Amino acid sequence: MNQADLTKPSLMTGSIRRGNRWRDAVGAYAFILPSFILITVFYLIPILMTGFYSVTKFNLIQKPTFVGLDNYTRMFSDPFVTASIRNTFVFTLVTVPIQTFLALLLAAVFASRKDGFWKNFTKSSTFIPVISSMIIVGVLWRMMFNTDIGIINSLLSVFGVEPVNWLGDKNTALLAVCIVSIWKNVGYFLVIYYVAIMEIPRSLYEAAEMDGANRRQQFWMITIPSLRNITYLVVTLGTIWSFQVFDLVYIMTGGGPGTSTITLVMTIYDTAFKVYDMGYASAISFLLFTIVILVSVIQKRFLGERG
Amino acid sequence: MALMSFQDTATLDFHFRVDKFDLDNYKRIFKNYNFFGYLSNSLYVVASACVLNTFISSMAGYAFAKKHFPLKRELFWLYLATMMIPAQVTLIPTFIIMKQLDLLNTLTALYLPILNAFGVFLCRQFMQEGLPDELIEAARMDGCRELRIYTSVVLPLAKPVLVSLAVFTFITTWNDFIWPLVIITDSAKQTLTLALSTLQTNYTVNYGLVTAGTTLTFLPPFLFYVFMQKQFVEGIAFSGIKA
Repeated sequence: MNQADLTKPSLMTGSIRRGNRWRDAVGAYAFILPSFILITVFYLIPILMTGFYSVTKFNLIQKPTFVGLDNYTRMFSDPFVTASIRNTFVFTLVTVPIQTFLALLLAAVFASRKDGFWKNFTKSSTFIPVISSMIIVGVLWRMMFNTDIGIINSLLSVFGVEPVNWLGDKNTALLAVCIVSIWKNVGYFLVIYYVAIMEIPRSLYEAAEMDGANRRQQFWMITIPSLRNITYLVVTLGTIWSFQVFDLVYIMTGGGPGTSTITLVMTIYDTAFKVYDMGYASAISFLLFTIVILVSVIQKRFLGERG
Repeated sequence: MALMSFQDTATLDFHFRVDKFDLDNYKRIFKNYNFFGYLSNSLYVVASACVLNTFISSMAGYAFAKKHFPLKRELFWLYLATMMIPAQVTLIPTFIIMKQLDLLNTLTALYLPILNAFGVFLCRQFMQEGLPDELIEAARMDGCRELRIYTSVVLPLAKPVLVSLAVFTFITTWNDFIWPLVIITDSAKQTLTLALSTLQTNYTVNYGLVTAGTTLTFLPPFLFYVFMQKQFVEGIAFSGIKA
């Protein structure tokens, strides 16, 4: 009998078996350990710390002092916070539906075209904004939105439209940021939708065609319903991302003009690293966290997985 | 819209470059603005993040996919939960932690927090189906120690997901902005994306310079993407469908 035979189940007595299982477990924990340590240190502990600091007053130099719910009550009368919440919500409500719809539409268009050079080329180009850094995108679009020499206004003037002060006018600044964000994200969601559309069985379409349905009817009756779960993913992911927007706004408008483009994360950043009011900033962070969780739960309720 | 993304970098670059002597801007950006330093910073951080994330996450992913141990389900749920925490919420505490660990203003601080549950999730999904149990059993029968099984059997078979993960990590780390903004105070230690933003706020009119910097920051991920397109797209589709 050699080593291998001893591990055959029939030959393993109770204690050897239990010993093996214990050894397996220890081995498994060892494999998970590095990852677990990092996640604990950088995710689990921080989230607890945020909660802790949110009820203190802390400026990094002196020890934190407990202030109860003061930070939270302060938030509601703080014009920066209310502006950020409003802007962030507007941003989300504008960008998520549009980018979802565009991604779906474009994916459907791509899916119906034959494979070929142009198809691959355009598919790849929609993805380039996705891999570009927000900063690059922001820098470039800021140039394009420039009131005097920007490309956007030049294009508009061809149609006789007066130059728009995109980034300097508080009515249009947020819109400009929305446009850029949509442009950047569509590629990502397009890929997801495209792959999902490809997985819809052809037989469904063939059957519909035989029943006399035209292309548009097929789209509405087959494609859209089959994509329900994917749409849930796209919308949820898009929403969570849009709540976190910072880089783009920082580089395009810095929050201005006035407070018309300031977002929640920007406010957190300013409060924490410009004013060093860590306690208050933690409270705002916790607010952000709560909003994200709430929105996710609501979305799951209404759009969640079925079947 | 799709084509604009390509034209963007090309047109603006062209327009202004021809305006202000081509390569001169690039030379200036390297000499006067220390872009070589920023480039190497970014590369170092990104490379470290990729290597670390690939190994550590695949180890954990392997354990979750193939091994059996108590509390496995609960632990995995914990991992999934952390994926829901927006990075911005942990920004401040992580900063404080780095301060305690004396890692403020270091490049190490830049890549350490990149490792997260997403990599583990991705690896686990792949390994559950992509790694045949029989192969692992066979290796065990042959007397291989666990670590050897991991390096000789698991890693080679997991190449597709490892590549996808490396690509994701590369792109995320390279483009990371708010974290380096918070941690780095020494201008010499800045990453490329960070340096680019300061370049703009200081010299808002010098478009040639800014576009040169932009192109430089854009090139590595772009090249990476061009070569790894297939894996990248597969990775996204995979995570999207299975999520």
